[in-house]
Parts: sequence; structure tokens; C-alpha cells
Amino acid sequence: MRQAPSWKYPFGTSGIGTDVFSEVIHGTKYALYVGILVTAITMGISILIGAIAGFYGGWVDTILMRITEVFLVFPALLLILVFVRIFSLTAAEPFWIIPLINIQIPAGLTIVILILGVFNWASNARMIRGEFLRVRELEFTEAEKALGASNLRIIFRHILPNILSSIIVVSSLTIAYAILLEAAVSFLGFGDPNTITWGQILQENFSDARVVWWAEFFPGLAILFTVFGFNLLGDGLSDALNPRLRE
Amino acid sequence: MVESVLNIEGLKTYFFTEAGVVKAVDGISFNLKKGESLGLVGESGSGKTVTALSVLRIVPKPGRIIDGKVEYNGEDLLKKTEDEMRRIRGGEIAIIFQDPSSSLNPVYSIESQLSDVIRAHQNVSKDETREKVIEILTMVGLPEAETRINEYPHQFSGGMKQRVAIARALACEPTLLFADEPTTNLDVTIQAQVLDLLNDLKKKFGMSLVMITHDMGIIANMTTRVVVLYAGSVCEIARTHDLFAYPRHPYTEALLAAVPRLDMRKTLRVIPGNIPNLIEPPSGCRFHPRCDYATETCKKVIPVLEEVGPEHFVACHEWRNIRLKGEMTHSE
Repeated sequence: MRQAPSWKYPFGTSGIGTDVFSEVIHGTKYALYVGILVTAITMGISILIGAIAGFYGGWVDTILMRITEVFLVFPALLLILVFVRIFSLTAAEPFWIIPLINIQIPAGLTIVILILGVFNWASNARMIRGEFLRVRELEFTEAEKALGASNLRIIFRHILPNILSSIIVVSSLTIAYAILLEAAVSFLGFGDPNTITWGQILQENFSDARVVWWAEFFPGLAILFTVFGFNLLGDGLSDALNPRLRE
Repeated sequence: MVESVLNIEGLKTYFFTEAGVVKAVDGISFNLKKGESLGLVGESGSGKTVTALSVLRIVPKPGRIIDGKVEYNGEDLLKKTEDEMRRIRGGEIAIIFQDPSSSLNPVYSIESQLSDVIRAHQNVSKDETREKVIEILTMVGLPEAETRINEYPHQFSGGMKQRVAIARALACEPTLLFADEPTTNLDVTIQAQVLDLLNDLKKKFGMSLVMITHDMGIIANMTTRVVVLYAGSVCEIARTHDLFAYPRHPYTEALLAAVPRLDMRKTLRVIPGNIPNLIEPPSGCRFHPRCDYATETCKKVIPVLEEVGPEHFVACHEWRNIRLKGEMTHSE
């Protein structure tokens, strides 16, 4: 049954005898899916809303920012838990396949991903709006307009690349945060019980934590390193993308 | 008579701010002849830049063009669709802005900024575009254009950036160029170079040029005719020589007296007061609170432009009664 870490089972085995090392390795895949897909959804929504609000300003900005504030003031985790519970009952297919990249994702996890994505864009949208406001005031946007560029072109080709480094930094932080959040949701027992994510491992072994500490410690370590790694990645990329630091 | 490229009539551009309606441009009329260099002069806030932005219809919010006509080659630009305007901007009418360090997008190389403009307006292949970019950069005097096109704006000095900005404005050979204080942010020596360059290029392309500035020296050197703006309306229109020799508007006289001269020992005259609040401009002639010659009429009646000589117009009630001092008291 349960075994302490050894050469054969580097992370030990859990109370019911599963190999924690294999589980952590398996969970890595899902952690990355969660991180990247949640961030893709989040950034998609927040770039759209932030760009429109920041670029057009006026009443468009006012309306979009009020909506954003509604999302900001709601306790996100609570909403996420409620919606995950409601929607996970409705999943009919065992797997959902993402078009184009053909990745199979367990249906329960897909719901968690979608809901995390939909409820986490607000603060990023605010940041992107601020960046748009800043860059919009620079003379080159006016110059581009005077040279015949359309609004869409100015938004996506001229302003967006200028704030890319902030977007990348925020994206990497969002990846890290999404992984943490999924772990929290799973740990609280609201995750997809059919998918071994890191949070799920933590949840399953929580009751035995005092005895099988390794089944809590190693998945926790995996979360820590992944989150830390994405933060470092963001910093590195933001330097690499800054033309002022490029030779 | 030479045909006009640009004919502005009664242009009104207001900014609808929370504090009230700012009448930045309030009924400006003037025309620009083909191949001419016209100066647009006035203090900060007199409506020079807003006039240029109105012609291109890129007035920033909360500004709006309220009324007037802007005829470019006989067609009213204010009636064009946004799509048609986009083709005109940069393609036929271009503008050079004041600050070269912020008018170039910092994340793109010089080449991609220029080829962007060329490919937006002309149907040319990649190689041709590249050749054109190099050609125009060489023309504006950028040394080693072939290698420097891959560099980014921050790797250029202010003067070089302004040359690149000029090259970008001229990339599609516009027929009309607005230069909005193109040398304000440059050193004096570089200023002279950039002005010479603009003059050369104007001749080479046969462009018409509108030089927006508050520097009477640039006006004297660069233009053949001048429009003097004050608080959003036209004070005086005259040939450059006539304006300096025989100013008819007290504001023009005051502007000239405020120019430092090395060859004359004189105290600089300062125009008392500030440009008026454009939300509630002074009644009558807008200059009357600062004018030495103001009468009761000036406080009540808005003056209209009157012809006072060949191609010389002035908006002043008192022009018949006052004798103003010009720069050159005896003719050359």
C-alpha cells in the first residue's frame, strides 16, 4: 500500500497505492492545458474589451468599464465554484476535442477551463485599457491616421505591438494564476473527478496528509515550480521583446 | 490666375469639452495655390494645427468640424466618405508633425514603417517597395540608407528621425503637405537643414506646402504668402514680403515686434496678456483686449476680411486709421 519516497517510487505512493510520481507527471499535461487555454480565453476577452474601451473612449468606455467592474467586485472563486457545479452535470461527451490542434480534453476539465477563462478577464482588461489610453495619446497614432490607416489597423497593428510586452507579462502571470486557481477548485472538490490534475491529487490525499505527506508535498512543489517558472518566463520575454534592449 | 489646390471657407471646428464648447477654429477661410508655400502663423492655441487636422479630417475627440467647406482640387473633403479620406490621407495630402521622436512607431523598423505607407496607397511588389524606401530615404539625406532601414526609431537622432518622418510623409508623393512646426524640437543647425530639405523636396515634387509655425523667421524664409491666425480666426492674409513690410493688423505688428533681431538694437515688445479663453471668446474683434488701437466698435462688431491691397486682406475695423510699423520701414 502506501510507501515513502524511494528509488522505485520517487514521490512515494498514495494511501490507495497509486504512484504519486506518475500522477504528477500526468497532471503536468493538464496543468499546461488549463494554464494556456484559460489564458487564451482570458486574454482574448480582455484584449477585445480593453482595446475597444481604451481606443474609442467616451460612452463605449464607460459602459465596458462598468461591466468590467461588475466582474471585478464579484467574488470570482465563489462564482466559479457555483458554475462548475452547475455545468459539470451537463457534460455529455467524455472528451472535447479542440479544433485545429486536435487536443483531447476531458469534458469536466473543459468546463472548468471555460469558466475560469470567462471569470478572470476583468483586471487584465483594465490593464490593457490603461495601456491603450497611454499609447493612443502618443503622436504616432495621429501620424498613422494622417497617413491613411484605419482605426482597426491602428488598434491591432500600431497600438497592440506597443503594449505586447505588458500583454506577455500579464499572460504569463495569468497562466500561473489559472493553474493555481484550477488547483484550488479541484482541491475544494469542485474539479473534474475523472481527471488527475495536481489539485485533484492534493484533494484526494488531503485526509491522509499527516501520514502520506509526500502525496501532498510533491504535487504542491510541482505547482510552485510551474507558477514560478511562468513568472520568470514572462520577465524574460518582456525584456527580449523590448526593442530598446535589442541590439 | 493660378488655380487653388485647397480652398477653405468658413471652417469651424469646435471641441465639446466638459467645461464648455472650445471654438478652436471659428470661421477660417483661405486658399492655397498650386505649388505655393503658405505660412500659417499664430500663437499656441490659435487654431493652426486644428486647421490642418480638420483638412485631413482627423480632429481628435471631443473635437468636431461643425461647418464650412474644405475644397481640395475642387472637391469638398468634408463630404467624402471615411474610405475616400483614407486614400487621400498620406496619398495626396500628408502632414509632418512637431515631435519626430513620438511620431514614429517605436516597435517597427524604419523600413516597415515606410513600406507600410507605400503599400497602403500603391500597388507595388515587395522588392519595388524596398527600393522606393531606400530611394526616398536617400533623398531626404539619410546616410547609408540601405543598412539603416533595418534600424528602429530610437537608434536615430532627432534630426534624422524628422528626416525619416518627412520621408514617410512624402513616400507616396502627395500634392499637398502640411508641416506642423516641423523644426520646433530640433537644434538650430538641424532646423536649417530640415527647412532646406523641405524646400528642395517641395520643388522636386511640385508640392504645395502649408508651413505651420509661430516662428516669423521660418515664415520669412520659407513662404510666399502668410495667413495670420488669432484665437481661431484669420486676422490677416498677405504676401510674405507685404506682411513684413506693411502689416495692417495690430496683431501682426505685435508679432513682428516680438521677433528678436540682431541687426537692430531694440527692446523686444511683448504682446500683453494671453490668448483668450476660446470657450467664451471676447466679443467683437477677438484681439481687442490686447490691442493698443481698440475702439468701442472693436468691442462690439466682429470684423470681416477686407481687401486692402493686391492679395492683402485684413480683418480690422481700424486699418484705415492706423499706421503700423513693419519690419522693413523703407522698401528694399
